[in-house]
Amino acid sequence: MPAYRNVRLCTKDCLCLYVCPTGATNTENSVIDVTKCIPDCSACVDACPSSAISMTPDTYPPQQSKTEAVVVAQRALGFSKVQQAGIANAIATFSENSVTRQFAKAVAKSNHLMAEDILRESGYMLPQSNKVRELLEAMLENIEPDFPRDAVELLLKRLQKTK
Amino acid sequence: MREFTCSICGYVYDESAGSVENSVVSGTKWETIPDSFVCPVCGAPKTAFTPYEKNPVNQVSSSTDVNIGHIENLKELSPGEISVICFSLAKGCEKQHLTAEMEAFNKLANYFKSKTTTASAKTLDETAKMLDDDITKGFAVANVAAQVNADRGALRSLVWSEKVSVIMKALLERFAKEGNAMLENTKIWVCDICGFIYIGDVLPEICPVCKVPNFKIIEVERR
Repeated sequence: MPAYRNVRLCTKDCLCLYVCPTGATNTENSVIDVTKCIPDCSACVDACPSSAISMTPDTYPPQQSKTEAVVVAQRALGFSKVQQAGIANAIATFSENSVTRQFAKAVAKSNHLMAEDILRESGYMLPQSNKVRELLEAMLENIEPDFPRDAVELLLKRLQKTK
Repeated sequence: MREFTCSICGYVYDESAGSVENSVVSGTKWETIPDSFVCPVCGAPKTAFTPYEKNPVNQVSSSTDVNIGHIENLKELSPGEISVICFSLAKGCEKQHLTAEMEAFNKLANYFKSKTTTASAKTLDETAKMLDDDITKGFAVANVAAQVNADRGALRSLVWSEKVSVIMKALLERFAKEGNAMLENTKIWVCDICGFIYIGDVLPEICPVCKVPNFKIIEVERR
């Protein structure tokens, strides 16, 4: 478990610098150097007076399962938003009018974000979840030459299974 | 004197007070306000307002039978859907500060994005039609499914995106009518969290839909 500093909350009270046994909290870019973190140390989290530092979890519980009715309805709506994002994106790319491009870009982005959120709630919230693992494993059957298989292998190796 | 509430952000229009931002003088009856009226907080259209109720009764759908077909309807995920899911998982990894994993999901997202096909020569009118279907059918079905199954996570995503959809519909209608004039002298922004679209020069303090602080609402530049 490494520590993470939220720079927006940090009020530069420096206590994390004083208590850190390895100097991990003292960096030129304000990001805690997690390679120096002692596992489960959390001295900086306890010392920070503005609650700007937290520990990043290593493991996650299994996710709440989704019913079929919810999955079907979320998927249908998510699919519609994906289509709309695609159309708006094409207009944002190819229209000859700069204001139309700008508006279409906003519509595309908005649709994309809605699609992400709606489909996330069809069972794909946590990267470490079993459902994501199944999706990744299914991707290994893709034999297209340009398919980034290395990305799938990295994820299957590094994303720990939920307990 | 009556009051009307914006269903998107909760702003209340009080007939006895009027609306300074919209140049509506005090005492103006709701019916006499022009249809071009928009919520001074979030920009929602007049049609998004409902009569104010002190203790609103939660509307529970009388239909508990969700007609969603059978499991055969669960077709395989399309490249477009997988791409969107991978972009979302990349953000999930970013939030956990897992950089290599974030990059891997982005790589997959971009691969699947490159495999999507968008028919050319489509217009915003076509997205507007699909959006109408979402608002009249898609959200109704999904809301019932989420309520019947007590899935408050799904319900949360639907509450946000339905509000974003209502605003988007109003803006698509305005753009069809006003064209470039709608944006000529003002800015357009999109909330990075929920997708809420805002037109104006000064942002509200928080997103009217998802309530995130406004530093996460990002301007879309004209290029």
